[in-house]
Amino acid sequence: MNPAAAGKTYPATTFTVDPQRVAAFRKIFGESEGVPATFVTTAEFAVMPLIVADPELGLDFSRVLHGNQEYEFRRPLQEGETVEVRCRLGSIRVLGGNAFLVLVTELAEPGGDVVCIGRSTLIERAAD
Amino acid sequence: MPSVRDVAVRSEIPPLSRVVTPEAVKAYADAGGDQNPLHQDEAFARAAGFPGIIAHGMFTMGYLAACLSRWAGGPERIRRLTSQFRAPVFMGEEIVAGGRVKAVDVEQRVAVIECWVTVERNGKKEWPIKRGEAEVLLDP
Repeated sequence: MNPAAAGKTYPATTFTVDPQRVAAFRKIFGESEGVPATFVTTAEFAVMPLIVADPELGLDFSRVLHGNQEYEFRRPLQEGETVEVRCRLGSIRVLGGNAFLVLVTELAEPGGDVVCIGRSTLIERAAD
Repeated sequence: MPSVRDVAVRSEIPPLSRVVTPEAVKAYADAGGDQNPLHQDEAFARAAGFPGIIAHGMFTMGYLAACLSRWAGGPERIRRLTSQFRAPVFMGEEIVAGGRVKAVDVEQRVAVIECWVTVERNGKKEWPIKRGEAEVLLDP
């Protein structure tokens, strides 16, 4: 992983909070209503192919572990709404051969205010 | 739904437990879009150094969020949630999500909850999620 890629911003994409997927989440986790907080990660995953394929970043996804996850909500996500997904590489630190990438993903009203933010720390383990 | 007047600092929220099955983990992979073979393919997981397939960190965190949501009266009550993934979870194990009230902001009607997910393994308590923290909106 290339630490110099920190700060890079990816082109915004759109993501719809699909009611069927939300229902599947609720069923798995036994929630009765609303959009589960961790549903935000489905939007983070929608952007992942872009990041995995970025030659400037050079992430080896086969060695990645999920180290930390954070969500911050300005308001609840609504079922059926379409949001803009703005993703950037927050920071990259290399410690003892492991590289720690913080991916910051904002879900926002199209052209407008941020609804929620996901921060994922991905650990690229040292190669054998 | 808990009222800001009734929530005491250091009180615990009701735990939520669940035995993890390959079927549930597969359902999460399909719903969440994370098809990493580490969570579905025994041979792949063993080659990666694990004794068998492991649950997604997000599978475990989903139960922590559900535990908080049940106590708070819905997922929209969760304003912030953070988790550190510290140990794997294997199939057939029982994960237990829980939390304790760390602070209450009466004016903002927000409780800060320290939260976790534990599992008993070989007579020892492991912490798939440690040092989690949530901010939850309370009733007046």
